[in-house]
Amino acid sequence: MMKDLIAKLKKHYKLTEPDYRRADLTFVTAQKDELRSLLIALRDIEGFTHLVLLTAVDWLEEGLFQLTYMLNNRAANRTLALRVMIPRANAVGDTIHDLWPTAETYQRELREMFGIDFPGSPRVNDEFILEGWTDMPPYRRDFDSLAYSLQTYRERPGRVTHDPREHMKKALYPDQKPEAAK
Amino acid sequence: MMFNLKTDRSQYPQPGPDGKLEIDLETGKYLKLWQGPNHPGITGNMSVELTVCGDEVVAGKTHVGYLHRGFEKLMERRSFIQVFPIVCRVCVPEPDFNEYCYAAAVEELAGIKVPELANWMRTLILEMGRFNSYMMFLGGISGALGLGVVGQWMTYVRDLMLDRFEELTGARIYHMFILPGGVRGHLPDGFAGRMEEVLRTAEKYLADVEKVMFRNAVYKRRTKGIGVIDPKLFEPYGVTGPNARAGGVAKDLRKDAPYLVYNELDFEVQTGKDSDIHTRVDVRYRDIHQSIALIRQILQKMPKDGPVMAKIPNVLHWQIPRGETYIKGESSRGEYGYYLVTDGSGYPRRINVRGPSYTHAMALLEHLIPGTNISDVAQLMVSLHTYPPEIER
Amino acid sequence: MSLRDVLSPYTAWKHLFEAPVTIKDPIGREAAERYRGFHQNDLSKCIGCGSCEDICQNAAIDMVPVSDPKTGDSGLRPMIDYGRCCWCALCVDVCMTGSLTMSNEYTWVDSDPDAFRFTPGVDLKSWDAEEKGYKRENNERRLTGTHRPEMGMLEPEARIASFGEIVHGYTRAEAVIEADRCVECGLCVATCPAHMDIPDYIRKVREGDYEGGLKLLYETNPFSQTCGRVCTHACETACAAVHEGDAIAIRWLKRDITDNVPRERYFDLISKPDVPETGKKVAIVGAGPGGLTTAFDLARAGNEVVVFEALPKPGGMMRYGIPEYRLPYDVLDHEISVIEKMGVDIRCNQRIGTDITLDQLKKDHDAVVLSLGLNQGRSTRVPGSEEAESAIDLLRRITAGDKVPVPKQVAIIGGGNVAMDIARSMARLQRQKHGEVGVTVTALEDFDHFLADDEEVEEAREEGCVIYDARGPQEIVVKSGKVAGLRTWKCKAIFDAEGRFAPKYDASDEMVHPAQMVVEAIGQSADISLLGAELTEKLEWNRGRIRIDQNGRTSEPWLWAAGDLVSGPDVIHAVADGHRVAKSVSAMLQATRETH
Repeated sequence: MMKDLIAKLKKHYKLTEPDYRRADLTFVTAQKDELRSLLIALRDIEGFTHLVLLTAVDWLEEGLFQLTYMLNNRAANRTLALRVMIPRANAVGDTIHDLWPTAETYQRELREMFGIDFPGSPRVNDEFILEGWTDMPPYRRDFDSLAYSLQTYRERPGRVTHDPREHMKKALYPDQKPEAAK
Repeated sequence: MMFNLKTDRSQYPQPGPDGKLEIDLETGKYLKLWQGPNHPGITGNMSVELTVCGDEVVAGKTHVGYLHRGFEKLMERRSFIQVFPIVCRVCVPEPDFNEYCYAAAVEELAGIKVPELANWMRTLILEMGRFNSYMMFLGGISGALGLGVVGQWMTYVRDLMLDRFEELTGARIYHMFILPGGVRGHLPDGFAGRMEEVLRTAEKYLADVEKVMFRNAVYKRRTKGIGVIDPKLFEPYGVTGPNARAGGVAKDLRKDAPYLVYNELDFEVQTGKDSDIHTRVDVRYRDIHQSIALIRQILQKMPKDGPVMAKIPNVLHWQIPRGETYIKGESSRGEYGYYLVTDGSGYPRRINVRGPSYTHAMALLEHLIPGTNISDVAQLMVSLHTYPPEIER
Repeated sequence: MSLRDVLSPYTAWKHLFEAPVTIKDPIGREAAERYRGFHQNDLSKCIGCGSCEDICQNAAIDMVPVSDPKTGDSGLRPMIDYGRCCWCALCVDVCMTGSLTMSNEYTWVDSDPDAFRFTPGVDLKSWDAEEKGYKRENNERRLTGTHRPEMGMLEPEARIASFGEIVHGYTRAEAVIEADRCVECGLCVATCPAHMDIPDYIRKVREGDYEGGLKLLYETNPFSQTCGRVCTHACETACAAVHEGDAIAIRWLKRDITDNVPRERYFDLISKPDVPETGKKVAIVGAGPGGLTTAFDLARAGNEVVVFEALPKPGGMMRYGIPEYRLPYDVLDHEISVIEKMGVDIRCNQRIGTDITLDQLKKDHDAVVLSLGLNQGRSTRVPGSEEAESAIDLLRRITAGDKVPVPKQVAIIGGGNVAMDIARSMARLQRQKHGEVGVTVTALEDFDHFLADDEEVEEAREEGCVIYDARGPQEIVVKSGKVAGLRTWKCKAIFDAEGRFAPKYDASDEMVHPAQMVVEAIGQSADISLLGAELTEKLEWNRGRIRIDQNGRTSEPWLWAAGDLVSGPDVIHAVADGHRVAKSVSAMLQATRETH
């Protein structure tokens, strides 16, 4: 069923080779400029009326954000996840709050946690979870949560650990590590 | 300034050119009122910022962020086994769904087949978790209505189920029992008998709840016809679970997309038709009885013996090939799911938790609030069965 | 609204006189049998591998020194910070020995937060002996593999028919499974005489980076192909995995790396470092693993190195002591050719004292390293023993291709690996000549205290050798000038109360093993006659061994000693010696360059 649907969609839209993860779950990458029309077609014609989730994946190394729009056809028990790749720099997505009002919440969160803007989405710049956050959007891969916590919170004093291998070397053969004679 | 809003709508905020209500606090006609984050009618740490006109609410905004721990980010720094102790903490009252969804997602991407008995055990645990979650819900909704005694009874019954969780999993709240690859152990000896005692006690107390709550004139007056969700809103607002079933949508993932061993169990999808607070509570009340029946059924049908753990790679350097998947199930609140993205390394690239409260308590609640009475906001919120940690994972 | 709906809620009053269901005093409430409470650690079982620390996602565990490190035990023990612990018990699940468990105790009140950081088992607690609490089900370790894949080997019938290599080596799939089991604790590194980077090269196997792995091997061991086959692998006794299941097959994984790099690639990967020539000359006596390792290191450091070998081919005991079916000659040839590529000049058929004198070496070189193998067999000195063959001598002659007598029945005295080597070599020759095997091995030790490796014993038996334990040789029966058999008594005890070698026999339990050849395989010694009387006199000795300092230098400033001569018969010890000596020689050469 999913194969037929993808074949049908491919006639009108540019889609990459899909990943048929399970019989009821397919991932496919779509073009950003075709997303809206694709979502409407899926919702209104193909029965994918349920927006399961909308979230982002940060492919830092590739300089891309992946937006995942997961849609579900409840009657047929099929889930189709559309990936849209957008550049990380000045990341902007197209708002879909008018298609699914609940998308407003997702887009607000993406704005706050990933720094992806959705112009036109209601209250998109309102604080969602974070209050008074001044650092970079924290769910970006380059936000180092460990460094942040080390710098923000105090480590409990007096904690020291030992690596078994190094500890044994120090105790048993401190100078014997053979290295090519110099 | 005194006026009767019911008869004199002239004082009610009027729509502006963009169709939105114009609320000018300077006029002195409106009052900002914070419900929560510390309020008996709030099931967890969130708050609703209400704008009221008289005793009618004209606008509401949900505020979360009181317990954000950045779980999804935290998980990206953990190896696949190290994520396991974290996931349950995303949802206190029904933690097992997180364990199941995460484990199943990892198993799928890593190509691990779970032994049959483990699937039965998982189903059992999920139903026990659902039961407990509903206990918290009944306690919550009765608390929101000032019916404290039901809350006390439900806390007691939940505690008895926690005893069973404790003997089965080794912990009361965060069970950490559903490990990627299976579950950590078999049923203890005599477990079914002790479970039966709990279920009987539960049934006894639920009969009392029936009398005290469902046959209570005040309760009926305050829940019937109140907080109605138009079924047309279900799809646009992503409404799932009992909230949708109370509006006549017979959708239950246990039936529609059977996972674990649900296709081997007999049960019916509980629905209602009025889509008001009363029906939503009623659907859940019937679902509790169904959970009780399912627990009995599972204990009776499950294989008596067999392995509960598949062979898994050395967890200390477990790497999973690049891929992504989504695992979902029917939690007590609706569709619960884990979206897992892997990149071939020893750490998840991204984990996104899809909790039903995310849609129910944000956009939907904000949509439902205008026009309600201040005193009804609490039970309206609770009737959506919200667990704030799902919103701010 | 019905009246019933008004009255019905009052039914709640029926609970009014019921006893409360709350627990009055929760402190002391007993938790369930599986409850995950405070930890317990059986210190006698814990080996301080730190897997618990590795798996802890809360960083709640520190490894702290508690006792002195020893083989297979770092002496570290986990200290737990209960301010961070989330009671997930993954540390219990991953524990390599099963020492770490949990009690079902969870109620504990203290005003001092530091009281909640302690080392279970060391800081005694009331729940240390509590039976209840979380344990792994059936005490099974399920988070890391417990068993190694079985190694593919020639069937006994096939292997007895020739001297072809028995062990196939792992397939890629098997190697990955095996490498995956390693928890990278590094307890093995201290035990390896050469302190090879074991966890690191196992990681390379896992990642499939064989070339990187080979480079890593050569950092500590230029005889990795040999060691990957015949190493005594003391590391595997120190492996954390040995406590529950099989030790990681460290030796086979090393071999896996060497087998998976094409031979010609060795010369690219292990190239000579670009260092200036020092102009210094070093002579090495003996082309065994010790001498050649020294040569490898010194040549790479820019010295001119000449190795003098008495036998026709280099390799020492690796070639002339170890049978071909365990270490094929082409492997050894290739391994040595890599060393030669460093500019090492190996001169064979150069016996010191005969072809060239030690004095001459001293005159022509800045330093001399003695690296002698144990090439002389010890004798039992029982009646008739002058007619016995020496195992080590026989093995050398087999390797050299000399014609050795192959009677239908051979009796071996000894229960070590050399006894197994000669037994199995003779079995092969018998099979070739007579079509059947007739080898009897008599060992002084009983099977509970056997010296040879288990697999050697098992394989020897599979090949048709008969092994008797606890038999002491009494006489080599010689009839009309020809060996006719071996007479043995039951050995009741090998050592006396003081632990000295003083075997006691039961004369009533006598056996005569018919044999036309008796081979003594009860130990070897080095032939140190090449030192000459003068040097022997000058050198300092320690119980019959040349006294050396910790760097292998003798009391003569120009002379070093390495290998079996000082460390006993073992390739990896010889390699470690070689490195040590090379370092010491280098330091001396450096010093003389700076002063002159």
